[in-house]
Amino acid sequence: MNTRGQRILLWTAPPAVALFVLAYLVFPVFSPPLSPTLTPDQVAAFFRGNVTGILGVAILGNLIACSLVPLFAVTAVQISRAATSSTVLTYAYIICVGVGTTAFILADYCWGMAAFRPDRDPQLISLLNDMAWFFFIAPVGTIMVQNLCFALSVYLDERPEPIFPRWVAHFNVATIALLAPSAFSILYKSGPLAWNGPLSFTLRLTTFAVYIAVMFWALLRAVNHQGDDRVVLA
Amino acid sequence: MAELPKAPAPSAGQATSWRRNRKLDQWIAFWSVPFFFNLFGLVFVPLSWMMPPRSPSSSTPHIVGFMHSHNLLIACVILTLAYGLAPVSNACYLMQVKRMSVSPAFRYSMMIGAITGAIVGMLFPMFCFGLGAFRPGYSPSVLTMLYDFGYLAFIGSLGCFCVMWMAFGLAIILDENNILPKWLGYYTIWQYVTELMAAPVWIAKSGPFAWNGLMTFWFAMMLYVSWQFIVYLCIYKAIKNQPEAELDNAPPEPHPGALEITSKTSA
Repeated sequence: MNTRGQRILLWTAPPAVALFVLAYLVFPVFSPPLSPTLTPDQVAAFFRGNVTGILGVAILGNLIACSLVPLFAVTAVQISRAATSSTVLTYAYIICVGVGTTAFILADYCWGMAAFRPDRDPQLISLLNDMAWFFFIAPVGTIMVQNLCFALSVYLDERPEPIFPRWVAHFNVATIALLAPSAFSILYKSGPLAWNGPLSFTLRLTTFAVYIAVMFWALLRAVNHQGDDRVVLA
Repeated sequence: MAELPKAPAPSAGQATSWRRNRKLDQWIAFWSVPFFFNLFGLVFVPLSWMMPPRSPSSSTPHIVGFMHSHNLLIACVILTLAYGLAPVSNACYLMQVKRMSVSPAFRYSMMIGAITGAIVGMLFPMFCFGLGAFRPGYSPSVLTMLYDFGYLAFIGSLGCFCVMWMAFGLAIILDENNILPKWLGYYTIWQYVTELMAAPVWIAKSGPFAWNGLMTFWFAMMLYVSWQFIVYLCIYKAIKNQPEAELDNAPPEPHPGALEITSKTSA
């Protein structure tokens, strides 16, 4: 089976990552991350003072929001190669990716809207900013479950020659624990769990970045070893 | 092509340890469902009293008080951690529909509906409810807007579920492999009707057709919960009764005379 299509899709990931890194570094809201303790007036002042920077990244974010989807799609194909009894894990994975990507886009929209009309009532700008942070940091539930589905497909795979080395599955399980704290960011306005804190923000983004790098390597290896192996259509 | 390991010799009635169960992926997915639904129920009812729904015509102080409640925030946290299981519960439908003789278009329709529904019908409204409790001090009119947005999105999200129940119901009715019973197909089409019944919540602020009304909430919930329960009972039976030879990881046939495949598929 020709795996050229999968390889092409996988190689869209490095440029996508480069753009995400660029967006992160250039986004005024992230450098440094806006504190949840700011009053609505302070938030409004921030957005008024950074309109171009924020709108630029909001547009970029809008464009690249789904640019990691091909990597996830190739993962779904490799999950369906595992010798499990059904494609239930592939389905769950695909739905989780769709939902998670939408959450990211909504965050981007909220920041974009906050910067679009900076003379808006500060309460509304603060509300949009809160909403954006909630959508950006907190919804880890789908990434956790999608990684669990991937790990299960590796653990339950009955092939004598596994598609992925087992440690990739262990790594996915570890990410579940490392990402979970971010869900608690909606309870705190300061401290490590707040949306700008070391657990909810730094750990979450670092984990995600390392995860993409590891999966890229693992998927490339899996696709290159696929040979003539046929996949099960989901 | 990689060889699959030899299957253990089948002996009727021998209980294999659950770890060696060939359908483990399906069972894990299946059993996540009661866990998730019960968690959902606990979080929505006794924890946060989001359900049964507050009234759309509550007085403003009541709305503000509700939106500021700390339990609402905790409910959001729990759901944010657990909502990834909603896709798994949807995947359980999909894996049965895949076995049916109908076109993949049915399950793709359901998949797309599931993706849309999880966002507009669960994640988004959940955050609407969390915002007021996160930052007290928003004006009552903002809180009322969030309150409306939350309840309308939860109860008034119609189209994504319409397409899922229509595709699911039709698939069951048209299926020549009889994976799920035909009466379930008709019952599922009836679920589509509950979505139509929910449409007036966008208009009524009191009475039987408001989002907390007798018809749109209580009656519709009664139909929905019983359907949900029955559907998963049927799926349980379908998983259990699926012949091992049909599984994606079925052991290779021991005899040269191949087993007749009676399932049909279409494009």
